[in-house]
Amino acid sequence: MDGRDKSGHDEQGMNELFPSPAAGRFGRRLKRERGARVPVIVITGFLGAGKTTLLKRFLDTPEGKGTAVVVNEFGATGIDDVLVRASADETVLLGNGCLCCITRTDLQQALRRMVVERERGELPDFRRVAIETSGLADPSPILQTFATDRALSGVFHVEAVVTVIDAVTGGDTLQWSVEARKQAILADRLIVTKTDIAGESAHTALTSRLRALNPGAEILEAVSGEIDPGRLIEPASNQRNSFVAEASHSDGIGSFVLTEETPMPWAVFARSMDVLMQLRGPDLLRVKGFLNVEGCNGPVVVQFVQHLAHPPVELENWPDDNRQSRVVFITRNIAEQQVRALVQAVRALV
Amino acid sequence: MSTATSPLNKSAEPTTWNFMLLAQNDLGGFGGMGEGMSVQIAKDGRRIIWLAHESAPKNFTAVDVSDPRQPKVVVQTDLPKPYMRSNSLELSGDIMAVAYQTQKVNQQPAGLELFDVSVPEKPRSISFFDCSGATSRGVHQLWFCDGEYVHMASGAPDFVPSHPLDDQFYRCIDARNPSKPVEIGRWWMPGTKKGETPLPRHKLDKGYRAHNTNVYKQRGDRLYLCYIDGGMFVMDIADKTKPKPISHWTNSPPYTGFMHTAVPLFERNLLIVTDESTENKAEDWPKLVWLLDARDEKNLVSISTCPLPPVDAYANRGGRFGAHNIHENPPVPTAWQSDQIVIGTFFNGGLRAYDISNPYQPKEVATFVPPPPKGTPAGAVQLNDVFVDERGIVYTVDRHTGGLYTLEMDF
Repeated sequence: MDGRDKSGHDEQGMNELFPSPAAGRFGRRLKRERGARVPVIVITGFLGAGKTTLLKRFLDTPEGKGTAVVVNEFGATGIDDVLVRASADETVLLGNGCLCCITRTDLQQALRRMVVERERGELPDFRRVAIETSGLADPSPILQTFATDRALSGVFHVEAVVTVIDAVTGGDTLQWSVEARKQAILADRLIVTKTDIAGESAHTALTSRLRALNPGAEILEAVSGEIDPGRLIEPASNQRNSFVAEASHSDGIGSFVLTEETPMPWAVFARSMDVLMQLRGPDLLRVKGFLNVEGCNGPVVVQFVQHLAHPPVELENWPDDNRQSRVVFITRNIAEQQVRALVQAVRALV
Repeated sequence: MSTATSPLNKSAEPTTWNFMLLAQNDLGGFGGMGEGMSVQIAKDGRRIIWLAHESAPKNFTAVDVSDPRQPKVVVQTDLPKPYMRSNSLELSGDIMAVAYQTQKVNQQPAGLELFDVSVPEKPRSISFFDCSGATSRGVHQLWFCDGEYVHMASGAPDFVPSHPLDDQFYRCIDARNPSKPVEIGRWWMPGTKKGETPLPRHKLDKGYRAHNTNVYKQRGDRLYLCYIDGGMFVMDIADKTKPKPISHWTNSPPYTGFMHTAVPLFERNLLIVTDESTENKAEDWPKLVWLLDARDEKNLVSISTCPLPPVDAYANRGGRFGAHNIHENPPVPTAWQSDQIVIGTFFNGGLRAYDISNPYQPKEVATFVPPPPKGTPAGAVQLNDVFVDERGIVYTVDRHTGGLYTLEMDF
């Protein structure tokens, strides 16, 4: 996204050269955010949390049909991969290492190859991809991969980050591990496992800790990997309620929802985000939501990961009567008031 | 990094991406379909799709697609002669025009038949317009959207072509009185009539003949005429008795001819033009869907093509691989209209939808390559034509045995 009042196809002048009443400033209006792209579910969670069990059960359900699985293993035994491969339509095993740092290129290559092989009819049809990260993975570089790699972002769309937390040891893990906290904070959906063997007090404490870390995420419970399979793959909601309070953590990571009642000129939001990305890109861990843009029919879905912007997408329709702009910010040491003040200042200047 | 090899890995996997197959119907074992598809809302409210057959023995088939998950054959008719084919049909209200072509010249019947299909189970012939002749094979394709004029690619008894393959040209038939259709205008590509300076023959030599003859109410004074090896013409038909060429565009040579369909997207000043693949094993590759900048209709500029999968992955699957028909936004109430999405059939390349919101970079958004239909001699599906109704239900047909497939768009 640049600072001009233009973006996407409009930036390339398509609307002027080849106008169409059926298209908006961001191109064809879409029924859903992912458009025609392949949905990707990123399943993260600490070692032993139960990611593989959850995924394996999911693959055995009718909803799991047509899921290609990308697994990265940490350690040489590859036990996670062996478990999953028995039922996945296609499994790509990434090498020894953590998905976030060592094998990102492998991930890109694996996903590209899957698309090419499907196009050639060499790979069974798949309708979604599940990426199971190693326990140590920080999800943000994976999300960045889908924003940075032009070929990937045109073909794949991360629909949800699902983080699995073990009710028995999860509380302790969140205490000592920065990565575990980040996994919880960046999740769209938190799945608590082993609730049947955890004590009630540990379970309750973990739930309240997770609520504090990530007030916007849904929290679901799974016992022996059992969960409504549809919930695992459901796209993340862009409608996190505005009553979500600003949450802050010891790592300086906080989340808040920027809301606006009236339609916003695109330039106001675009230029505000330009400034934020230029000044504090590394601290914008994830920004995502619906924007009510002046002149657009449906909501415009915006998404940023650090200094990278996904192309904005205009949907055909609002999902309900609420026309409020609501954009969730997960940031490090950036307060809601600072962002709100910036947007107001830009609005006054544009 | 290592890759686990799936036990299911093999070549030519079927693919369904962002289409949802609702049903397939082999039409009673006569599932070899042509390139005529038209939807009627019958008086009793049923939704009937009328389908042309690729070749004899069947003439046309009507299918009740009120529930696209359960298509039911309503009527299926036979051609009177085994050497005939009725590859094209079009419906306007309750009147259906059917094109009759013969294998050789001087065979009868060859021409245009109009039917009253107000009772879909009982199509009733209203009239027959004879196009047979010593140098004519009759009508290959027709367009009949306004209930008044049939625009068609046809031979005529009084037209002697300079080459036997150049026998079909543009003819405009006034069908306002459907019991007595009369020709009111015609045009042929200069060089195709005996006595004119003959045109150079193409490598595959498919002929300089009219194919699609599209006319839209948004621009009733324009005809978008494809001429097989002769490229395509934008024609001025403000005076239907005197069609005049405005511009001409061709890709061949160096491409291998057989230009098939031209669909204007009026508000966007674009033209979508298709080739037809006619050779097995992709020997005429590449056969493409082309996007033309038509801001100046006198100076058409090719700006992109809709991308196809790698030819080596499809060439040997069986039958043809490459472009053919697209949904043509016919100006009728039962047809879906889009200037953002192009949906086309590519023989063994299946059915593909493209987002052309940026016409310089068409992007595939949906694919349907079903398994080879039962009994097909081609060894692979050969999707031949496509129509999308105003509900967004997609209908596509196989050229040999697969009959009708109904699908939903999911993109």
